[in-house]
Amino acid sequence: MAVNEDYALPCGRDVDTIWDRLDRDTDEHDQDCPHCRTAREGLLALRSATRELIDEPDPTPPDLLGRIMSAVRAEVRRGQMLDLASAEPGGVAVSTQAIAVVLRYAADSAGGVRARRVRVRQVGVDAAGAAQVAAELTLTVRLGNSAGAETLARVRELVSAAATARVGITLVSLNLLVEDVYEDGE
Amino acid sequence: MTSEYVIAAPVVAGVAARAAAGTAGVVRLEPGLRGLAAALVRAARDRWTGLAAAPAEGVRVRTADGKLTVEVDVVVSGIDQAAAVGQAVQRSVRREVAAQTGRTVDAVQVSIVDIEMEAR
Repeated sequence: MAVNEDYALPCGRDVDTIWDRLDRDTDEHDQDCPHCRTAREGLLALRSATRELIDEPDPTPPDLLGRIMSAVRAEVRRGQMLDLASAEPGGVAVSTQAIAVVLRYAADSAGGVRARRVRVRQVGVDAAGAAQVAAELTLTVRLGNSAGAETLARVRELVSAAATARVGITLVSLNLLVEDVYEDGE
Repeated sequence: MTSEYVIAAPVVAGVAARAAAGTAGVVRLEPGLRGLAAALVRAARDRWTGLAAAPAEGVRVRTADGKLTVEVDVVVSGIDQAAAVGQAVQRSVRREVAAQTGRTVDAVQVSIVDIEMEAR
């Protein structure tokens, strides 16, 4: 059965392959790869859930669609995780989408400018084990802003500060691309 | 006489979920697709048994080579630093699981899937 046509895991295997092999013996990669293991457990849970629900003719739980959509959104956000520093056994990771939310919010609070696209990628690891991040923000600036350079400097300051204070990562580079202008009241 | 206590994974998951959700800075746990599937199974089982199990959505418990690992997926508030909240969740899960079940958690992996900023 095809689960998804081209849903590749970060390790290179796709979910289809894992679904097909669900009842067969696992190979070494299946056992060692965290992505495959997680996907496998998820598919097994999903399969047993659907079987039990089919066996159980009760009405579907309330708000099922909402819960499924929220779960799907969470899976998408989980896409890429970056490590944060932690002294405890285990680890703390944050999704790049979550970082983008914080950076966008910080840029918007500079005033006279709005953030559009935010790209976040890992470029290294610092001494504490936290990801070092390069960010790129695409901005639109308010038309008639005579202090454009100052505004951009403020954006730079606020975004770097937010990365440290609100997430706990260091930005090693921050590129601002001014792509468009907007008028007040827009 | 020797006696052995076995604390099942769902117990650890339930305690861990409650500890994580109660940590300052955590907005909610995020179940994801697998957690949702597990929750549906549990809801069906609850109807048969008449017992409501403690919610553990957003928490996975693994045992490998005798080591107990708890994975927690959370959404945190943007007011606090995500890294600090993550560490607080790790500490609180280890502490509560040890206090309530006697089991030592070897590692807690916290995944922050989203950060909620206050509305402007």
